[in-house]
Amino acid sequence: MPKVKNWQVGREIEYPYDESRPKKQWAIVFDLNKCIACQTCTLACKTTWTSGKGQEYMFWNNVETKPWGGYPLGWDLRVLEKLGRQEWSQKGEYQGKTLIEAAPPTERVLHFAPTDEDWMYPNVGEDDCAGGNVDKGGHMGALPHDKWFFYLPRTCAHCTYPACLAACPRKAIYKREEDGIVLIDQTRCKGYGECVRACPYKKSMYNPHTRTSEKCIGCYPAVEQGVQPQCVVNCIGKIRVMGFINPPWKAREDNPIDYLVHKKQIALPYYPQLGLEPNIYYIPPIHADREYLKQMFGPRVEEAIERYRKLESDPVAQGLLCLIGSSDRILHRFTVDKGKAAGFAENGEEIVRVPVSEPVIVREAFDAKVGAIRNNTP
Amino acid sequence: MTLVRSGAFAALAAVVVASGCSKGSEAPAPITRLVIRKVTADLSKADPSAPYWNDVTPGIVKLTAQPMIAPRPETTTTEEVIVQAVTDGTRAAFRLRWKDPEKSEAGKLGELSDGLALEFPLREGGELPPVFMGAKGNPVHLFHWRAQYQRDKEKGKPTVKDIYPNVSVDMYPMEFKEAPGGTPEDREKFSPGVVEGNPQSYAKEGVDEVIAEGFSTSAVQAGHGSTAHGEWRGGEWTLVIVRPLTIEGGSSLKSGGGANIAFAVWQGGKGEVGARKCVTMQWTPVVIM
Repeated sequence: MPKVKNWQVGREIEYPYDESRPKKQWAIVFDLNKCIACQTCTLACKTTWTSGKGQEYMFWNNVETKPWGGYPLGWDLRVLEKLGRQEWSQKGEYQGKTLIEAAPPTERVLHFAPTDEDWMYPNVGEDDCAGGNVDKGGHMGALPHDKWFFYLPRTCAHCTYPACLAACPRKAIYKREEDGIVLIDQTRCKGYGECVRACPYKKSMYNPHTRTSEKCIGCYPAVEQGVQPQCVVNCIGKIRVMGFINPPWKAREDNPIDYLVHKKQIALPYYPQLGLEPNIYYIPPIHADREYLKQMFGPRVEEAIERYRKLESDPVAQGLLCLIGSSDRILHRFTVDKGKAAGFAENGEEIVRVPVSEPVIVREAFDAKVGAIRNNTP
Repeated sequence: MTLVRSGAFAALAAVVVASGCSKGSEAPAPITRLVIRKVTADLSKADPSAPYWNDVTPGIVKLTAQPMIAPRPETTTTEEVIVQAVTDGTRAAFRLRWKDPEKSEAGKLGELSDGLALEFPLREGGELPPVFMGAKGNPVHLFHWRAQYQRDKEKGKPTVKDIYPNVSVDMYPMEFKEAPGGTPEDREKFSPGVVEGNPQSYAKEGVDEVIAEGFSTSAVQAGHGSTAHGEWRGGEWTLVIVRPLTIEGGSSLKSGGGANIAFAVWQGGKGEVGARKCVTMQWTPVVIM
């Protein structure tokens, strides 16, 4: 089996096809410290793409509460359980087996097959707290919190080495050269469900009406127009940004995604140990249990959180965070200069320019002019 | 002459009565060639309990878990198929029996269908294609029956409501139930498989004709009037697949011999689909007598 370079695990991994990185790679960065699970992303996706027959249960984008939530049920626990305990080296090199390396000879990918019951509870575990009992209330005076949960918004990760693509016996799944989006060819798919079994993130879904499998299409019609996906542009908390990521050896500091993932290293892939090089990246929640976060985001999570907490003194990073959610269009480059952050399209055109900080105005509580006490509730 | 013949029949009948069985229920033995018996009967309908099956000696073909490519079954789930074959001069009918502890028609998420496929070399003469789905330039012609496809034929393609009777859906925006001008195409706009004309997304006629030139190349073709009907009873499928003897541009079975056949079985209840199947490991020569 060919060996391919997977920078997220710091080593070469086995994959059934040769390394063939796309010209550009679709990627989303999510700040988990800001997500409130309003599910606006979920609904934006749902109403755009999956309101047809057989898609009733589909959420190409979903938001689940961690650690107890999961759609389909227990997807993460079940795949980790299959893989068993694995180790990272001190230097951040993964020493365990990936899902493809751990597959028995009869399979292409180590997997579990969800049943329909597993798809029946999209909001299971919502807001369920972890970290012991709360008999005496919560005491959250220090970080990380001893009682905790966080929200995890998820789309297809348009992996560099997709398990769905590796598993499809009909070669009906392909990764686009122009943007790295992974698609199921709806003319070739025969609904075997191998991709549903193989994707550890369970982002391929079987449609019982069309009898083919379907998945997040990365909003490619928008991306082709230079516009970010629906789940991103509709995010009311502006917690996410879509752009194009380069591998670390080609990273550009002025690329928003490269900056967050490679330069500042505050955004991490989830479950990189599965070996697929997923391209959705998360700024980890600073309050959540660190051991849990290590399992989810790998050994660099502590450093990422420390760096994130120091962003206050980094005007460039602050500027970039202000740009997130400031435009529907895809930012290929950004600058921060003289208190203004600007984002640019692929052709160099300036798309958006925003102040890094808004002016602060302090008013007296009592407004003598109108004879009323003001409060700061908007 | 007539007397002699009658005598022979009487003797045969006596044997049948004595042993309590006919040819069709003889203990089948493994076969190295499949004989297609000529019968005078209407084979336009696939009928697993037609009387002519009683006059045809059944044979066994052995199956093995598909060994060539992953994914494949860990163990052989279907060990043998009992085969009988007849022809009326224009069609060939194959009766196939195999053990399957549960009937699976697919439908719900994660459910897969029972199935069986007959495989023939597409071309006559020359080198036989690899029995495992043929090869580039040397294709195979498959007749692929699924319980799911049979259900389509008998009851129509199941709706979501058929599959999940308690499903509750506020509305499908593309249904345009009351709106004028809504077309069937509009209604299916959110069903990519349908929009793209994927044969999987349309109601099936029981058996698909498929051409393949190696693994991962199978493609459904326009049919040539093949029919199939299976019945599951007591842990066993009895299925009849009827195909035309000769198909222009497809595989043909001609008097005398020269044709070959192979078999594959899927047990949906055991998670079998696609390459997860049990297969015969070699071609079985076919003789029409």
